[in-house]
Amino acid sequence: MELPPPFMNPRLLALIPTCVALNVVLGRIVSELALPVFLDTVGTVTATALAGPAAGIITGLTSQGLTALTSGQMMWLAFAPIQVLIALVASSAARRGGFATAASALLWGALCGLLGGLVSSVISYSFFGGVTSTGVTALNALLRYLDFGLATAVTISSVAADVLDKALTFAFAGAVLRALPTRLASRFPLAMRSAGRE
Amino acid sequence: MSAIEFSRVSFRYPTSGPVLRDVTFEAPAGRVTWIFGPAGAGASTLLLAAAGLAPGLTGGSLEGSVRILGQDPGSRSGRGAVQGKVAYVTATPYLQLSGMAESVFDEVAFAPANIGWDRARIEAAVPEALARLGIGHLADRIPEELSGGEQQRVVLAAMFVLRPDVWLLDEPTSALDGTGRELVRAFVRAEAERGCVVLFATEDAELGLALADEMVLLDEGSTVARGIPADLLGTELMWAMRAGSTGVGELARAANRLAGERAAHLAPPYPLTVEAAVERWR
Amino acid sequence: MSAPAAPEGLAARAHPFTPLVVSLAVVALAFLLPAPAGPLLLAALLIIIAILGGDPRALIPAAWLAVPFWVLLFILHALLGDGPMRTLGPLTLSVHGSALALTQSGRFTAIIVASVLVIRGFRPGRFVDAALEAGWPWTSAYITAATLNAIPRFQERAVRVQEAMRSRGLRVRGTLITRAKAFVPLALPLMLGALHEVDERTFALATRQVRAEGVSRTPLRPPADTALDLTVRWGAVLAVLGAIAWRFVA
Repeated sequence: MELPPPFMNPRLLALIPTCVALNVVLGRIVSELALPVFLDTVGTVTATALAGPAAGIITGLTSQGLTALTSGQMMWLAFAPIQVLIALVASSAARRGGFATAASALLWGALCGLLGGLVSSVISYSFFGGVTSTGVTALNALLRYLDFGLATAVTISSVAADVLDKALTFAFAGAVLRALPTRLASRFPLAMRSAGRE
Repeated sequence: MSAIEFSRVSFRYPTSGPVLRDVTFEAPAGRVTWIFGPAGAGASTLLLAAAGLAPGLTGGSLEGSVRILGQDPGSRSGRGAVQGKVAYVTATPYLQLSGMAESVFDEVAFAPANIGWDRARIEAAVPEALARLGIGHLADRIPEELSGGEQQRVVLAAMFVLRPDVWLLDEPTSALDGTGRELVRAFVRAEAERGCVVLFATEDAELGLALADEMVLLDEGSTVARGIPADLLGTELMWAMRAGSTGVGELARAANRLAGERAAHLAPPYPLTVEAAVERWR
Repeated sequence: MSAPAAPEGLAARAHPFTPLVVSLAVVALAFLLPAPAGPLLLAALLIIIAILGGDPRALIPAAWLAVPFWVLLFILHALLGDGPMRTLGPLTLSVHGSALALTQSGRFTAIIVASVLVIRGFRPGRFVDAALEAGWPWTSAYITAATLNAIPRFQERAVRVQEAMRSRGLRVRGTLITRAKAFVPLALPLMLGALHEVDERTFALATRQVRAEGVSRTPLRPPADTALDLTVRWGAVLAVLGAIAWRFVA
């Protein structure tokens, strides 16, 4: 009887660095286009929808670690749990064919953003006094100027930013999954099911 | 014992119809065997099956038996038994790089290090492999910064360092210029003479004619004919199968048709090279 | 063995684990040390290390990264903070908020300087060899190195896709809608191309024995792990433990 193959097979070793690099580069494209979102977890969501939550978690944690390291801002390691959360929500969506249409992908993304925003607001408030990325912090400052308490301001801005960002992330990942040629998609364990093509 | 044996092999991908149908042939050691056919004939899939990559990494289902050096490359024990003995080369050099080597030296050392060679052995073997492919001067260069031709030589060196017994090549020269193609041709020929079995797929009939001892003509996943390239490539069968031939062969066929297929000296089998055409039509 | 040229600076010469452990310790200490003096002193110490350790130019990118945080923290906490206020020239500042802004600024600065020093000396190949020598799973080390290798390649490809699209009339400047519309034509080809490539890379990795059964990979050039490296790493760990203990006692 043959033993099952080791978890980290060559396909995952090829997929994960690709998806991590996509996280970084798509985030930079968005930044160069000066759009009010991040879209720096598209790779994490895609890896999950193609190969399952473990692939997504490794992609997300590697992205978070490398981005924190290479950007000179290692404090962002504190947001690593969000990457795990994203992979878990994406995995739930994938198993239910949540990427089959733009509408369902947007909804799953919004859910992910709501949960992620709540968790990141706690992290941001507890560790960083409400400071994260420039845009979200500016929103915090605006809400503070309007006399919202710091905790409320951080929560509102984190959730609002994350819902928008993750809704668009999931929608874009869904578009990619649906655009993959069938022969290519069928090589990945979860791809067909994620995109409702089974 | 033939080095590669396909016995009644049929294969389909998870979402396709049959890509290989009842394929049976052997590729012996010390000879170069060429898989030729029109686009979609299944040549790439055949090579993936020989390497044990289909269905293992591609998904799908395989019937029949594939044996390489007497082992089943689809089974884990078989893969273990042929570890380091099978080289697989594709058309796009940069996609075959390891992705983590900071120098050509490290790139060629990648596979030996993976299978646990000690450092002294690696230190001796890598310069030999670099010299064999004529790229010793590139040892300190970053692989991703090389030209396509140089990268393909790095990839070949990276496989050669393990002294494989089997070479599986899928369009190994399509991204290369004339010099690169000639270098690969000479290298592959020398490997066959070293006793390796070489199985390659290419749509480049000139390369096939120059390199192969035997060809297997595939069409829609089935073997249609086998023979010596010089004998087969000039026959009407190649055009019936939409496989094509060498440039000179195409020209000769066109000339025959223009002449209304009445001139004996223009009839098939068509000459395949300039020299053969000159000899025939003198 | 033939090797790339050696980089400069303390972080580059040390064993690869040492700067990583120290920078993680800095992150912990930045939050553990009594505020606001602790983080500010830590930041000052790291700046001195950068200067004396042979990589003073690291302070330039560190400054670029840190200054926006100082400004944001000042606005968010000092200017817009609650509680007792104090006038300083033309500004009315929150007392508590100013202390918080100073504390967080010190923390961010310390972490940023440490991070920049680490990344400037980081070489993936050396890190992989160190990880293998230490018995780490090969796959984690491979993923780290392969990703760092992949990022610049994808970045270049994104630039090429952008140039190709712009030559076909894609506009990347203008209103928010215009810019937003540019994202999909830029990003979709990049992603589909990348996923196609995963296939061929998979076959290449498989046939280059990347998951060779039953053997561990040989590190090609394992970096020396000196007594100084060990001392520094243990020192960093002890400093963190000491700071934790101090928090409980004080």
